[in-house]
Amino acid sequence: MDHDVVVRQQMTEGYLLGELDPDARLEFEEHFFDCSECAIDVRTGALFVEQAKGVLAEESAPASSRAPATAPVPVIRGWLAWLRPAFAAPALALLLVVIGYQNLVTYPLLHQALNRPRVLPFASVNVGTWGSEQQTISIRRGEGFLLFVRIPPDGYSSHAAQLYNPAGKAEWSVTIPTTSTQDQWPLQVPGVNRESGTYILVVRGLTSAGDSKEVGRASFELQIQK
Amino acid sequence: MQFQAFDQPYLDRLRAGDYRAQEHFDAYFSALIQIKLRSRLKSPEAIEDVRQETFARFFVALREGKILQPERLGSFVNSICNNVLLEHYRAGARFDSLDDEKEREIPDKTADIFGALTTKETEKKVREILEELSERDRRLLREVFLEERDKDEVCRDFGIDRDYLRVLLHRAKQSFKSSYLKNTGGDKPEFGAA
Repeated sequence: MDHDVVVRQQMTEGYLLGELDPDARLEFEEHFFDCSECAIDVRTGALFVEQAKGVLAEESAPASSRAPATAPVPVIRGWLAWLRPAFAAPALALLLVVIGYQNLVTYPLLHQALNRPRVLPFASVNVGTWGSEQQTISIRRGEGFLLFVRIPPDGYSSHAAQLYNPAGKAEWSVTIPTTSTQDQWPLQVPGVNRESGTYILVVRGLTSAGDSKEVGRASFELQIQK
Repeated sequence: MQFQAFDQPYLDRLRAGDYRAQEHFDAYFSALIQIKLRSRLKSPEAIEDVRQETFARFFVALREGKILQPERLGSFVNSICNNVLLEHYRAGARFDSLDDEKEREIPDKTADIFGALTTKETEKKVREILEELSERDRRLLREVFLEERDKDEVCRDFGIDRDYLRVLLHRAKQSFKSSYLKNTGGDKPEFGAA
């Protein structure tokens, strides 16, 4: 193959574009294997094409779009990447399922439970001078119960009742107002997962100045039914 | 790229096991063989197999004194490569029928063709050349080389002919080549001392 013909016909470009027919391709290859000038032409041309593919891939839009040239889509990095449709769409779908379940199942059940009359297990606890022997309450796991707390008159403007679990940790505290006509107060203890054991209710008298002093404590035995 | 004349002294050095001559031979013809085979064989493993067999047969012929025209060393290597390729096809080409999944698992060693040629400078130059092109021409190159669309379809879509495509590549290649040769220390092939 004549070198001048190769140059004139831009055969390197034709070769790199895959345009040469099989015979021409073989002839051209035989030529550039011998011709160092064409060898460098083919090598640099191939290098350019490979490098260009990498550069063009960085800025390319998806092949399926075939849309007119648009501004390159910025790469979303960091925590913002979680907002991409690939993540946001399934997350949104899951959220909708959860919300749907809550609104259609959980809340109606809770509403029903709240509005249905029930008989709750209970115990009477007497503090102060009215202390009595420990009582036992038997409940189902997660069930609430009532504590009838009797507090003798002691001159405090109000009282605070604090419940301690068998591990000695305070679970909650509630304020009990003082009136002249009532000395027993029903405390509704919420149903949560509790352990069996001895619970202690500590009652403190509260002054209007904000001071407090323990006026008594009472214990009861909680049994969780299996 | 070091250019050397393929002459008798070169062959003698190769036959004698001269390290530099062998290194030059390997680098020079490995690149050409890989460019040649890329469009014919699917897997890098098959390309490497054919390359190694080509070299093995060449050195056997060299030792046996069968290379009578040193100045046509290149076409001799090319002929051997063609024969090995033909035998590869006839043997059922076990690497030619890889499914897409297996192809993806085999790392593309295209970049190995160029090895040390591929540098930051090279990439930077290519980027500059592409940035000088119009957006339309960049898209054209992207669809031809990256997306590998049918060239007739691309030309139809862009309202151009094959000559336009060839000239576009020619200009970009020439710009890149002159810069590349300048950076590697030569504007055109020079025949070093044998």
